[in-house]
Amino acid sequence: MDALVAAAQAEGNLTTIALPDDWCNYREMIDTFKTKYGIEVNELDPNAGSGDEVEAIKANKDNPGPQAPDVIDVGLAFGPTAKDEGLIQPYKVETWDSIPADAKDADGYWWGDYYGVLSFEVNTAVVSNVPQDWSDLLKPEYKNQVALAGDPRSSNQAIQTVFAAALANGGSLDNAQPGLDFFKQLNDAGNFVPTIAKPGTIAQGETPITIRWTYNALSNRDGTAASGGPEIAVVVPTSGRFAGVYVQGISAYAPHPNAAKLWQEFMYSDEGQNIWLKGYCHPIRYEDLVATDAVPADQLAKLPDVAGAVFPTLAQLDAAKELITTQWDSVVGVDVVE
Amino acid sequence: MASATPAAEGQGVRFVRPVRRRSFTWLGLVPFFLFAALFIFLPAAFLVVGSFQGPDDQFTLQNYADLTSTEFIVGAFRNSLEISAVTAIFGASFGFVLAYALISSGTPGWIRTPFLTFAGVASNFAGVPLALAFVFTFGNLGLVTVALRELGIDIYSSGFTLYSKLGLEMTYMYFQLPLMILIIAPAIEGMKKEWREASENLGASSFHYWRYVAFPILLPSLLGTMILLFGNAFGAHATAFQLTGGTINIVTIVIGSQIRGDVLHNPGLGYAMAMGMVIIMAGSITAYSLLQRRSERWLR
Amino acid sequence: MSGGPAIGVRAPEAMQTLSGSARERPPGRRSHWLFLIWILFGALFFLIPLLSTILFSVKPKPWYLAYVNTFTDPKFFSSLLYSFGIGLATIVGVLLLLVPTAYWVHLRMPRWRPIVEFITLLPFVIPAVVLVFGLIRVYGSRQLPLLSAPFGGDVLLVAAYIVLALPYMYRSIDVGLRSIDVRSLTEAAQSLGAGWPRILFTIILPNLRVALLSGAFLTLAIVMGEFTIAVFLARPAFGPYLSLIGQNKAFEPASASIISFGITWLAMGLIAYIGRGQRGQTRTVGAR
Repeated sequence: MDALVAAAQAEGNLTTIALPDDWCNYREMIDTFKTKYGIEVNELDPNAGSGDEVEAIKANKDNPGPQAPDVIDVGLAFGPTAKDEGLIQPYKVETWDSIPADAKDADGYWWGDYYGVLSFEVNTAVVSNVPQDWSDLLKPEYKNQVALAGDPRSSNQAIQTVFAAALANGGSLDNAQPGLDFFKQLNDAGNFVPTIAKPGTIAQGETPITIRWTYNALSNRDGTAASGGPEIAVVVPTSGRFAGVYVQGISAYAPHPNAAKLWQEFMYSDEGQNIWLKGYCHPIRYEDLVATDAVPADQLAKLPDVAGAVFPTLAQLDAAKELITTQWDSVVGVDVVE
Repeated sequence: MASATPAAEGQGVRFVRPVRRRSFTWLGLVPFFLFAALFIFLPAAFLVVGSFQGPDDQFTLQNYADLTSTEFIVGAFRNSLEISAVTAIFGASFGFVLAYALISSGTPGWIRTPFLTFAGVASNFAGVPLALAFVFTFGNLGLVTVALRELGIDIYSSGFTLYSKLGLEMTYMYFQLPLMILIIAPAIEGMKKEWREASENLGASSFHYWRYVAFPILLPSLLGTMILLFGNAFGAHATAFQLTGGTINIVTIVIGSQIRGDVLHNPGLGYAMAMGMVIIMAGSITAYSLLQRRSERWLR
Repeated sequence: MSGGPAIGVRAPEAMQTLSGSARERPPGRRSHWLFLIWILFGALFFLIPLLSTILFSVKPKPWYLAYVNTFTDPKFFSSLLYSFGIGLATIVGVLLLLVPTAYWVHLRMPRWRPIVEFITLLPFVIPAVVLVFGLIRVYGSRQLPLLSAPFGGDVLLVAAYIVLALPYMYRSIDVGLRSIDVRSLTEAAQSLGAGWPRILFTIILPNLRVALLSGAFLTLAIVMGEFTIAVFLARPAFGPYLSLIGQNKAFEPASASIISFGITWLAMGLIAYIGRGQRGQTRTVGAR
């Protein structure tokens, strides 16, 4: 471990991508890492989606400059595809064994980091009657108000949102088609806003209703309140509770491989996992942490109630991702463009 | 140039034949050309060459063919052209009227000068704060939106949204209008008052003056500036990116996405798109220059 | 697109000052009022977005919260400072590149003028997004890994901004040179034994002061707000910072915008003030 620290410090830099400040408390994670090891962190495009992260590795294969990411944090379904395309390299953190087997690649190419449940994030200054379930979203009072938090052709959060809508619309974990149909309905009703929802756009009123992971919605609620902004309501839908796992990977072309590995070790230490927990994420080593009493009680109390949420398997995720990314344009017919 | 060199005291003046030297004056321009080569020509050449390359690096015209056949790309060009044309036409029309109103003698200097100064500011507004300002004005919770709501008019429920082509066009007007004012003002000033007086002496009405004297003279300037406005909007990226979250389908945004990652799944196609943009811009600049030269005939 | 008017701008000799006497006969009273109404609408259109930004920036409770958050955000100052530094570097770079070149063309190689002018007009044809596309592909490659060199990205950013500034800076300098008698000044200086550097710095530059200063302030204003090139080169400039908080925060974008406006207007105000003597130049460049 000491050798790794020395090697990482020799590299002096880490390039991350797609890590917004308020996503699972990454701000604190990055700042703590920086001060602890004295390594500079170059944060690329916090707004990138999972697909964009993989593209960034591809686009910078021959470019060891600051545009090339060292590490990625992508939706579960994106791990195996990145491995198949030879874009990530294997590594097993010290706490590898405490990561559940169904959330990691046996060969060590990718491994789960945290999970959450999809919820509605609502700006109550614009929306007085907060929707409680998926079917509510179709009501005419929400005209021009519902947005996805990403591009459903490349953002994991958006793809899973469409998948989750299937659960509440007559589909199942094996059939994501009704999810696409739901969004087609939403668009035809004029309720769908084809802009990517961000904390800023939610608070500014551009996208007053959006569907995001609980951890994002909750930390955004806190952040907006801290800015003196409008009150944000976070609602886990009554039906169609959908949980999603994200995974870590190290780029096969990482310009700073040792810094990348040290970063992973940091995040998977108890300290790192607790930082994620503070951001309302369920860290992947949650069971282990609870068993060893490593979580402060007040943190535990703040975690949202996600009873009844379903976790799709990798196979189901693959099928759904394939369906949604390829069919979005033709079924729903709106580019989250224009 | 013969130089007279006074020799040592006592001897006559000697004339030295001029020595022919190789001229090294061109060296003075080397830094400039080197810079241009490194940072303009080389990147441009890369794009040009790349646009003719297929997936296996072979020479092909397929990319250009794909430009016109891929629906998504045609849509992007169509949107860009539409937005640019709309903002150019409206910007030119309103800008001309505003410029005329400003220059006419009835307008006191204390209105004219600050307005023109501000036009200079507005025409150079950076894209990001401009988009933000329009969100704060016409967004769902924007000042004007809320004010209208108080008056009972809800523009959003009747289908309007700032985050669309229309919204982008409105935002672009913020820099197109002042640009028009700034460029056309000298042309309006160049209209000699003798012409107006002469036409009135001959019995022409205001309408006749405009129809037969003023507009024909101003037309090249007007058209040229309109084309300039067109090019200005066509190349804009930051405003569109900030307003729509990088999701609107226009050429600059697509090229931007292509830089980040190969969203077109064909690098050559991306380069061809960039070249398409360059060709359109070159066309508009050439048209503008030609029209400017025409207008100079009268407005000296 | 950058700076159209530099092409079409009249040389000062051919143009009246913009706030000089109007050339048209005074219109009738009715059209007088019509004009004023038009101007009023124009003024409203321009002022309202600014007003909205100010109002949004003081919307939180307490009203100064957004400003406090902006000022205490370390990235706000670091990005502002970074952009300012890049702006200065750009100005110096442009001057170092163009003043000797324009001078040389003027004095010794007038036949090269059309070529040099053509090159300075190329940035119009290559919009910022296309320029950065080319730069990244060329200098991010294995053959020319400038991007991955230390400060390589910064060098490229400055170079790109110099390219953007070429059109109007060259025109400024050129017009300035034409208004002074370069030949005589140079010969006089040479006969007094001055070498080229001395001539450039102590004779030519001071005479171009006004043109250079206004161009410099314009460059600074544009670099401070520029987004497209900075974001694709992954540089920590102010434009990308403002964009990011615009997407992630409710009111801080307004307060940060107001502050950046203040800076832009300061620069423009200085241009207007300094440019009082030398009227008739309008420039627009694209940082859009």
